[in-house]
Amino acid sequence: MVNAPNEKKTLEQGASPTIAAGEIESAFALLAEMTRGFAESQDLEATLERALTSVAKHLDAEAGSLWLLDLDREELHCRASVGPNPITGLRLPMTKGIIGRSLAENTCQCVFDVSQDPAFSTKADDESGMVTRSLLCAPMSFSDQRIGAIELINQRGGDGHFHEEDVYPLQVLASSAALAIANNRMAASLVEAERARRELELAAEIQRNLLPAARPDPFPVQGLNVPARTVSGDFFDFIPIADGRIGFCLGDVSGKGINAAMLMAKTASLYRCMVKTIPSPAELLRLLNDEICETATRGMFVTMAAGVYDPTTGAIRLANAGHEPPVCHAEGRFSIFEAGAPPLGIVPGVEIPEVELDLNGGSLYIFSDGLTEAETKPGDQLGRAGFEALLPKFADRPLAGRVEAIVDSVSQLALKDDLTLLAVSDEARSR
Amino acid sequence: MEHTVREEQGNLVVRFEGDVDLEHSPKAREVLLECVRGGQDVLVDLSAVSYIDSSGVASLVEAFQASKQKGTRFALVAVNAAALRVLELARLDKVFTIHESLAEGIRGGA
Repeated sequence: MVNAPNEKKTLEQGASPTIAAGEIESAFALLAEMTRGFAESQDLEATLERALTSVAKHLDAEAGSLWLLDLDREELHCRASVGPNPITGLRLPMTKGIIGRSLAENTCQCVFDVSQDPAFSTKADDESGMVTRSLLCAPMSFSDQRIGAIELINQRGGDGHFHEEDVYPLQVLASSAALAIANNRMAASLVEAERARRELELAAEIQRNLLPAARPDPFPVQGLNVPARTVSGDFFDFIPIADGRIGFCLGDVSGKGINAAMLMAKTASLYRCMVKTIPSPAELLRLLNDEICETATRGMFVTMAAGVYDPTTGAIRLANAGHEPPVCHAEGRFSIFEAGAPPLGIVPGVEIPEVELDLNGGSLYIFSDGLTEAETKPGDQLGRAGFEALLPKFADRPLAGRVEAIVDSVSQLALKDDLTLLAVSDEARSR
Repeated sequence: MEHTVREEQGNLVVRFEGDVDLEHSPKAREVLLECVRGGQDVLVDLSAVSYIDSSGVASLVEAFQASKQKGTRFALVAVNAAALRVLELARLDKVFTIHESLAEGIRGGA
């Protein structure tokens, strides 16, 4: 909509009611120049300034300015200006003046004589030293999003005032500028999202490399991790230690996302380093707890079960710090090993108990709560009972295939979290 | 998740209702830390919490650690069975002071 208080003036001026052919050509040339400028632009601010200069010249304006909305500060920020005293950088309250009205109503404003308009604000005049007589303003918006406005001041020729038809070239500039600004912002956010995605991919790659390489059967310890997102807060590890036993662990960091992934990386690396010299799982977790407590932030913690398996006797020494109870499946019976201490990273100096169990030809399963919290239907979790019911189905498979089949089977359900499973099997020894 | 904060006999009672999960734990964290920073004793009523995940527990842990630094009291009260199971399974009942009821929590500070 265009305000029309000046229609009478326009006609009095004696202009032909039909626009002269030369003017149409010149308007098209302006339109072509601006659109091409925006399409080819590498530097949006410079293009906006050039477009503003062209339209000010076309309408014979003394000065012009382009304003972008800064919604955080509820201000209009002048990003380009032409005229004897540029006002680029100036800030105005977003609701004030003719621009404020143009934005609020999302309409072009043609003010023949500003002294007759109570909304007129003199702040920009005070800054530039100009005296505004007449003013044109067009809002810039994209879809339903307000972007800013373009304003032109005082016509040099004629009666020195703007007229209704002057609004159209300005409206064209405002529309193409709005589109260019919106495109530019969208492109910038896409670039940023792509950069973040690539960084996350790199983090995920480093994480995958922190997990142990799969060892072919009949190696008695196997594990798998399925991250719910790109990066995971879960980890597992297993590694033969000097005395012929095999150290293993599984941990779950609170929360998700990159902060959980970083604490996972720290904990997994510390474990890998410590397990080579500290064969007692309880002692290892105690030291790990103190280490994590020293640098813990935001209440983050790690639930973790760690153990050592002796392939010659079938004995396991196991310690559990706040982790979901591991399940032992031997001779058709299930037994569980509840946590004896809180998770790592909360209270320094806690003692962590260690238990010894005899696998007796059976298997031990350690898993993250992503497994038990997988939903069989909305609101119904698999739970430990559901997991135990799965085990006999795959019990006769070699360990690596069995772990894969269990994880595949649980992955068919609705996963809410990272899913990690580690299994230690004593079956090779018993055969 | 909904929350309310009210004062009762010198304690700030924070009550959460619904799921304290990854989506809502940042809000829970903000509310708890603000209460602890005020310097009053804080009781967290978990009777109406339907589900709490590890990120929710982490916000409790952080507030608990902040209160320890400040030398104020931080306790969980009227924890419902599901949330208590989560805390017990992780042996967090060894970390937090847990009172059976709000009244007991208030008495516990006297």
